[in-house]
Amino acid sequence: MVPKGIKANGVLVLGGGITGIQAALDLASSRIKVYLVEKSPSLGGRMAQLDKTFPTMDCAI
Amino acid sequence: MMDAGRHPNIEVLTNSELTHLDGRAGSFRATVRKNPRYVSEELCTGCGLCIDDCPVIVPNEFEVGMGARKAIYSPFPQAVPNTHIIDREHCLNDDFLVCNNCLNVCDRNAINFDDPGEEIRLDVGAVIVATGFDVYNASAIPSYGYGLYHNVLTNMELERLLNATGPTRGHIVRPSDHKVPRKIAFVQCVGSRGEGREAGCQYCSRFCCMNAIKDCLLVKQHESDIEELMVFYIDVRAAGKGFEEFYQRSLGMPELKYVRGRPSKIIEDPQTRDLIISVENGETGEVSKVRADLVVLSTGAVAAASNRDLAEVLGINLDENSFFEVEPRYGSPLHTAREGIYVCGCAAGPNDISDSVAQGSGAAAEAEVFTAKLPAEEEPLVKEELDISGPPRVGVFLCHCGINIAGVLDIEELKEVAKNIPDVVYVEDNLFLCSDEGQRLVQEKIVEHRLNRVVAAACTPRTHEPIFRESCDQVGLNPYLFEMVNIRDQCSWVHTKVPKIATKKARDLIGMGVARARHLQPLYRKTIPVNQSVLVIGGGVAGMCAALELEAQGMKVYLLEKEGRLGGILNNLTRVYPANLSAFELARTMVEKIKASRVEAMASTEVNSITGFVGNFDVSTTNGNFRVGAVVVATGAHIYKPQGEFGYGRFENVITNQELENILHESKDGIHVNGKTPGTVLFIQCVGSRDTEKDTGCSRFCCPTTIKQAIRLRENGVNVVVLHRDVRTVGAKAEEHYRHARELGVKFIRYTPERLPHVSGRDQRAEQVEIRELALHQTLEIDVDYVVLAAGMVPNEQSTAKLHDILKVPLGADGFFMERHAKLGPVESTTEGVFLAGCVSGPKDIADSIAQGAAAAAKVASLISHDTVALEPTTCVVDQTLCRACGRCVEICDYHAPSLVEVAPGLKAAQINQALCKGCGTCASWCPTGAIAAMHFTDEQIDSMMEALLAG
Repeated sequence: MVPKGIKANGVLVLGGGITGIQAALDLASSRIKVYLVEKSPSLGGRMAQLDKTFPTMDCAI
Repeated sequence: MMDAGRHPNIEVLTNSELTHLDGRAGSFRATVRKNPRYVSEELCTGCGLCIDDCPVIVPNEFEVGMGARKAIYSPFPQAVPNTHIIDREHCLNDDFLVCNNCLNVCDRNAINFDDPGEEIRLDVGAVIVATGFDVYNASAIPSYGYGLYHNVLTNMELERLLNATGPTRGHIVRPSDHKVPRKIAFVQCVGSRGEGREAGCQYCSRFCCMNAIKDCLLVKQHESDIEELMVFYIDVRAAGKGFEEFYQRSLGMPELKYVRGRPSKIIEDPQTRDLIISVENGETGEVSKVRADLVVLSTGAVAAASNRDLAEVLGINLDENSFFEVEPRYGSPLHTAREGIYVCGCAAGPNDISDSVAQGSGAAAEAEVFTAKLPAEEEPLVKEELDISGPPRVGVFLCHCGINIAGVLDIEELKEVAKNIPDVVYVEDNLFLCSDEGQRLVQEKIVEHRLNRVVAAACTPRTHEPIFRESCDQVGLNPYLFEMVNIRDQCSWVHTKVPKIATKKARDLIGMGVARARHLQPLYRKTIPVNQSVLVIGGGVAGMCAALELEAQGMKVYLLEKEGRLGGILNNLTRVYPANLSAFELARTMVEKIKASRVEAMASTEVNSITGFVGNFDVSTTNGNFRVGAVVVATGAHIYKPQGEFGYGRFENVITNQELENILHESKDGIHVNGKTPGTVLFIQCVGSRDTEKDTGCSRFCCPTTIKQAIRLRENGVNVVVLHRDVRTVGAKAEEHYRHARELGVKFIRYTPERLPHVSGRDQRAEQVEIRELALHQTLEIDVDYVVLAAGMVPNEQSTAKLHDILKVPLGADGFFMERHAKLGPVESTTEGVFLAGCVSGPKDIADSIAQGAAAAAKVASLISHDTVALEPTTCVVDQTLCRACGRCVEICDYHAPSLVEVAPGLKAAQINQALCKGCGTCASWCPTGAIAAMHFTDEQIDSMMEALLAG
């Protein structure tokens, strides 16, 4: 276990799809600096390519 | 997506990758390489002039190659950031001819061909790996002819065809002749659940069954002339909340036919380009050739090709399928072997969206432990508000939603109508108002035309109102001067077949929206202090996990358990799949951690009452009273108690999974029941689950549980037969265990709810089970020593009813608590400050419950890490001079918001607690003196809407 005193300012989130975005938003709203790193030119990931999502048929984007 | 792009605490680094990481949890040093875009993110406005002038056309990756893009392009309309990018591989400037068109046309000088990119060094406390998956390459299975035959597509390609922004604007056509197909066949498990010589992976990709069902419903919606939709499948794996009900709904579609069988071969008719599918029907044993106009291959998820390099940089391992390896020790799906690095979503294996979202939140909670918080935000500067005085100046913005709206409604007619409504000074339409460009348009027009009321006629306020409100707020227009009219769900979607009438309805709704907007008044959010402690109800795995995460972040946590000891369902299990962890050890480790922590755990304690509101809940328990800022409900569920099905209760050797677990728990070496090893044990699946009459969905954990037990019995020499409806092994390693069970000789036989297995016996002992074997057309009689019923999960009715009363969290038809959003808010409830974790919102296994516990902790943290919380101002208020203190509002309010207070000596009047009020307006409509007004739905606003409707 790392001593609780050591804490850097920020979290690195790799991947800007729905999972990474969710993690980044939760951290950011807890007053934590986030670096959201995405390999491709835009956030969105696979979900941005979908039309609707099951089972609520909400718009995916 | 846009939220992430806009958040001040998030720095978005696109076109970037991690190249180096050293240090350890709490003090990692990372190097990120930002690859050149050749277009400056600061200078580019995304105007698109350069795209128009670019002469190069190449296939578009976002459209899975079915559309085209230029060499300078924007990945898709709603891209974040919306800066363009140059694809140097195809750009002519790297050729003999230097074209420079983009450079010449850009008046912002945003383009720089010498952009070297950037190396960025970052100090971080933790790393979250959420890098997703790659889609299986279907051309690896030559017998299906993908890439060879014109009309064989993948599910991702169909998804783009269905999409209004896609290459065909939402029309489904055959690539060979651009005709609308009449017969479409879906082939499931392409690249998943691979067998023998076939290429592909052995695991189940988890989301493809539901995706195919969704696509069938959408295809029918888009092309109503479809004659036949066929789904060739092995098992329909509708294992998730609401999924079984969705599947059952699809069974009611007359065009949709499910055929159990994996096609052996697909060939193309060279004349018609139709496809002929050879398949053996697993239910009838019949081998047939089926013709289809279009075949859709449901390709699964494979590990991203980049995983290997990334794993090396991160110093963590990949599993046998090249996904990131999860450290099994903790029973959690989020931990890797290296402390401070967490994995979530499809980076660790196939997951659907809601599980990915929960895991994303869970990983955030884990990461928070190693990270310092930014200083508390200073009082936000009072923003310069726009001058809204004078008569209303209404702007109406119509969204096409691709073809979702514009494909049915007459947008031009609606624009004309809107222009002629009094006080409307500006009307505009846009392909996607929700895109960055669309939102900027709204903002620009507010300023340019001094709009003081904004109406968007678009989709649902449930998902999109916050985006518009925030955009208004950003330019200084009070967000409550915005009105949203839902012309998609309420017009174009439900009246697709009658576009004229749908347009008429949209005219009425827009008229009403504008009428209301004219009377909207600015409202201001009040802030209240937040208490920095948390109540977790339920000491099972989800509750303990939430409590530990919160405590590690330094919060005061009260953990309540009704029973005499912590542990919940873990106390009744022996081994936990997939890693075969000892349930006893897992429970003991967690309980010991709780004991060593500052969590105030209270066993044998129940909640009496909880009053108050977000940030300030007063809790009364059988063990003392205290105040907390948030509540996590993790009270779990019950295992269904069979009501006499299959001889349960009548025969003593008909038991449940749970009862078998107890027997296995006690027998340390070998399986002995009453001193001897049983000869044959027969499992019957879906007892109490998937019952449409009782609204019960799939319990999800029972298939893997049965397989876990079957393997243990089989390894001890017992004959094992499993009677199932579909084998739903969707979790981590579950499909591999299913395969292992079959290899060991466990027999799996399918039954249908129309022909249930029959258990017979005498003298309180079951002796034989009769089952119709579908493929063999035979009735089998199996002699049994034990019958084990896979009893599903049902809500704990007593505790959910009580907590529903106390906390006002709504219950679904299945009796479980409802989440804020099935996909995007799996651990939030509709009551602010109240969160859900584990089986209380639906059946889950241990790993999913742990992820949810962590996710709930992350949500609590984002609430409690602020000293104050802003309240919605859309509440009801009392004009105390009109109130005669009859108390009717106090009686009828479901949320206990109104109370009678003394306003002057001897004089009482009602007062509404703004933090408790939901703004539903029930009290306002009941108030006999008209003293109560719903602030965002005043009588004046509603009257004006009615007048507009009647006048139109």
